[in-house]
Amino acid sequence: MNIDVAQLAMGDAADSDELVQRIGKLTRMLRQSMRELGLNKEVEKAAQAIPDARDRLSYVAQMTEQAAERSLNAIDRAQPLSDTLGDDAEALGKEWDQWFEHPRELDEARDLVKATRGYLASVPAVTRQVNKELLEITMAQDFQDLTGQVIKKMMDVIQEVEKQLLQVLLDSVPEGEDRDAMRKRMEGHWHTAAVTEEIGLTNGPQVRDDAEGVVNSQDQVDDLLDELGF
Amino acid sequence: MTDKNMSILIVDDFPTMRRIVRSLLKELGFTNVEEAEDGKDALEKLRGNAIQFVISDWNMPNLDGLEMLKQVRADDALKDTPVLMITAEAKKENIIAAAKAGANGYIVKPFTAATLEEKLNKILDKLGK
Repeated sequence: MNIDVAQLAMGDAADSDELVQRIGKLTRMLRQSMRELGLNKEVEKAAQAIPDARDRLSYVAQMTEQAAERSLNAIDRAQPLSDTLGDDAEALGKEWDQWFEHPRELDEARDLVKATRGYLASVPAVTRQVNKELLEITMAQDFQDLTGQVIKKMMDVIQEVEKQLLQVLLDSVPEGEDRDAMRKRMEGHWHTAAVTEEIGLTNGPQVRDDAEGVVNSQDQVDDLLDELGF
Repeated sequence: MTDKNMSILIVDDFPTMRRIVRSLLKELGFTNVEEAEDGKDALEKLRGNAIQFVISDWNMPNLDGLEMLKQVRADDALKDTPVLMITAEAKKENIIAAAKAGANGYIVKPFTAATLEEKLNKILDKLGK
């Protein structure tokens, strides 16, 4: 095909009309032979996988961003708490050091004792608050499970696309070394593809919240179970 | 009164999620916690130890959470063990299938600490533990 076109191009330039017609004819032939070989179906299948992969990727991007933000926000809230705790302890410690160096009357020390007791009483509430923020950071790590499942699904999709495209190539390449190498690669794919067949009830996280027959919150789960009488 | 020494088995193929659930349980006062990485591993641990509560994922290699649940319910020695599912599977048919197979609770990921506490207590209350 290439040679035909090249020869035409090198030939009489005035004959460009004929050139256009020839290209049109070749395109039609190519399209027809793809249809005859059933290749357009394969390509179509491969193309259908792309929007799904796009949804999954955007889910991963969204989840990772959320997790990072959640963690950083919790850290921003916890840091001042632990700073204050440390600063106050340091200040009280210094006053006590001074008192031991130059002991004053007991009633003069009363204020210091009072301040110290106040500080001690305030510590548990602050550490509880810091712990709450640490737990928030822990919870934010759940993105790893959710995105991990989605990425795994996506790798299956990509493998499927690769398989479809290889099939197209395999069907359109003449016998020879290239074809053998391709076929070998295909066989590797068939082997793993069988394992990753879709099983009805294990679909992993829903990457679109407008999907049908899907719950979007724990409340909906609870309502459904209530409806069913569980 | 809840027995905080109750032995709990966390079943999930993602180590991160096992750590998260473990941290939450610790926060709630439960420290007697074991882990299993899939349904098969869980059944072995259930049969080898006196586990009083199971918190399980659904989508796992080797043996998934639903199949594990069915096998637990079919086993005379294990059938009364409460099983709480925590899973990303959010189709209505998943929830129905889990309930029919005898799950005591269903939490959909991502979930909050408050949800885990609420469901855990609800199950324990119901069982009078």
